[in-house]
Amino acid sequence: MTLRRQPLLMLAVAAAGVALPFVIPDYRAQIAMLWALVIMAQTWDITGGQTGYNSFGNILFFGVGMYASVVVQRDVGLDYFPGLVLGMVVGAGIAAALAVLLGSMILRMRGHYFAIATLGLGIAAGEIAGGWDYLGAGSGLSPPLFPAPPGTANLFFAYLFFGLAALVFVLLAALYRTRFGLALNAIRDNEDKAEAMGLHTGVYKVTAWTMAAFVLGLVGGAMGNMLGFVDPRDTAFAGATFGVWMVLMAILGGKGTLWGPVLGAVIFHITQELLWTHLLGWQRVALGVIIVGIVVFFPQGILGWARTRWPARHEPREQGSERA
Amino acid sequence: MVKAWAGIAGIAALGLSVLAAGEAQAKVEGDTVYLGAAVSLTGKYTTAGEHTQRGYDLAVKTINDAGGITVGGKTYRLEVIYYDDESTPARGAQLAERLINQDDVEFMLGPYSSGLTKAIAPVTEQYGVPMVEANGASLQLFNKGYRYLFAVLSTTEQYLASAVALAAELAEREGRDPATLKLAGAFENDPFSQDIRAGVLADAEKLGIQVVIDDQLPPELNDMAATLAKTKALKPDILVVSGHSKGAALAIRQVEEMRVDVPMLAITHCDSADVIGKFGAASEYTLCASQWAPTLSYQDDVFGSAADFAATFEAEYGYAPPYQAAESSAAVLVFADAFERAGGFDKDAVRDALAATEMQTFYGNIKFDETGKNIAKPMVLYQIQDGAYVVVAPTRWAASEVRHPTPPWSER
Repeated sequence: MTLRRQPLLMLAVAAAGVALPFVIPDYRAQIAMLWALVIMAQTWDITGGQTGYNSFGNILFFGVGMYASVVVQRDVGLDYFPGLVLGMVVGAGIAAALAVLLGSMILRMRGHYFAIATLGLGIAAGEIAGGWDYLGAGSGLSPPLFPAPPGTANLFFAYLFFGLAALVFVLLAALYRTRFGLALNAIRDNEDKAEAMGLHTGVYKVTAWTMAAFVLGLVGGAMGNMLGFVDPRDTAFAGATFGVWMVLMAILGGKGTLWGPVLGAVIFHITQELLWTHLLGWQRVALGVIIVGIVVFFPQGILGWARTRWPARHEPREQGSERA
Repeated sequence: MVKAWAGIAGIAALGLSVLAAGEAQAKVEGDTVYLGAAVSLTGKYTTAGEHTQRGYDLAVKTINDAGGITVGGKTYRLEVIYYDDESTPARGAQLAERLINQDDVEFMLGPYSSGLTKAIAPVTEQYGVPMVEANGASLQLFNKGYRYLFAVLSTTEQYLASAVALAAELAEREGRDPATLKLAGAFENDPFSQDIRAGVLADAEKLGIQVVIDDQLPPELNDMAATLAKTKALKPDILVVSGHSKGAALAIRQVEEMRVDVPMLAITHCDSADVIGKFGAASEYTLCASQWAPTLSYQDDVFGSAADFAATFEAEYGYAPPYQAAESSAAVLVFADAFERAGGFDKDAVRDALAATEMQTFYGNIKFDETGKNIAKPMVLYQIQDGAYVVVAPTRWAASEVRHPTPPWSER
């Protein structure tokens, strides 16, 4: 995509983000969820797509953010909004700290070994939260009720998640153009060479994962409030749903691209909502068939497929980074 | 690339328009009143979720076949809009939003399990949508000040209280001090079972019973051999297990496989898990907490007596109704009654009518306290005797004496 067209597309998406909650007000809850999913896919792609480190444990940061936020809201005694903001920031901080700690240990592993190491993170966290009375153990936690008339909560979260998604997008777009972004791509393409050229790959990898963790902590903190109930395994450390989805959405759209995760999340969310409505009880089967179809027919994701199909229309740099 | 993007935008727009097109139904349309429900049709609560849905369906069908409900001089049919919550609270909360905002539902029936109810209640509360639920028993649901939540069932702390009390009573009858009794418990780590645990531990403490095992079971319940090995070693007088339908089946199966001799085994969800059908003689002597029994002497105008309900249900679905189905049917009866008394479909008028409910159904008496829980119906305790569920406590409904102690496996 040429640089000339990209701002146009961004403008269109931004206009949609601002207008949608009022164009289709009944769908505010789904719109909020959509932007949250977009952020999850974007953050997963920082390590998964750009750096070539597939993490299946990012749900850990999401869940930590969710718990931290609700605990802060419960124990600090602030009003709803200050409490929520403080909770989200504290959650993001803890998530980022965990990423630094865990990352400096397991990001030394390469490729599949790293992926497998991350598999256990969310599960372990779910077990710990499920046994810890301070966090409500197996009974979970309930965040405070949103202090405004019905429907406004969804409006609030729709714009919160949209704003965050837009911010993350712009920051990542800028970041991937810098030396830092190139270093991540270099690690993905050939880590040994990158190291031989003098890059401190460990620092780059940990920093990348920490950024993802910080943002996911924010999302988790807000999501706990939006969903209204924190369950250790089913909402917070929900590896089988949000945890898998974030990987799936990034791959579906095209990993290692800026727009891929956004596109993947949009298509995934709409498909899923349609399946839920029209295939009662069979929606998971249908979703499974779709996933298999994607992997078979679009192994590079939709954007990857589009690139192969219309190679001439792509900006050389992005294409180059994909091939190098 | 522009074309590709245009194509993608087109697909997205199409998707959104299909989403929007689904928005046809409203709360009361013509002569039909729509109730919304998210139930677990897939995931870990599939079995009980299906009982819940069938309970709702049977009540709706029976009411409609008898001419529907009469509100303000006009008759209406009932209909339920279902979604599958996949047994996860995140899904449940989203579906509640969907039912209220997109399907314009103004009256909700509850999901299955306390966890799902905890996720959905804040949503219905926020929109002021009355919800009558039949399968969320956790006491924690009723200390949040919810005004639009009503539960027809008895709350968790009552589930196994009668079993613990019965053990103490039997001990006294045998001339033993109840304080010398030992209790072992294994509880699934979910909102419902953890509440059960709190109730059992409180009862044990009150009676001076010593708790020798207090284990947590994972939600993906497939094995409790560790707990049972300890049980064999410590020889408690009572073993209490709570873990929904899967937990009930697991307890009976592994107690038999491992030949665990314990004088009293008390569990929840026996009938929902169909332990008699699955394990036959191995399930004998087991005590089961139940919200309801077909032998109770309650009745109403829609289904007749408790036994009549059981017969109707069995004729429709081919198996005896577990209490999850019975209480779900009762929730629909409560709504029907409230609509008729409210004389209209204003959400707040219906809410007030629900709050003033005082009725008898085949499932039991229903009267809500100010927190919305039913305070007019006790739990019953079954024992499996000769391949049937027989009520043994409380004494008022007991059809038979409890058989105690359970003989060792070597003599069975």
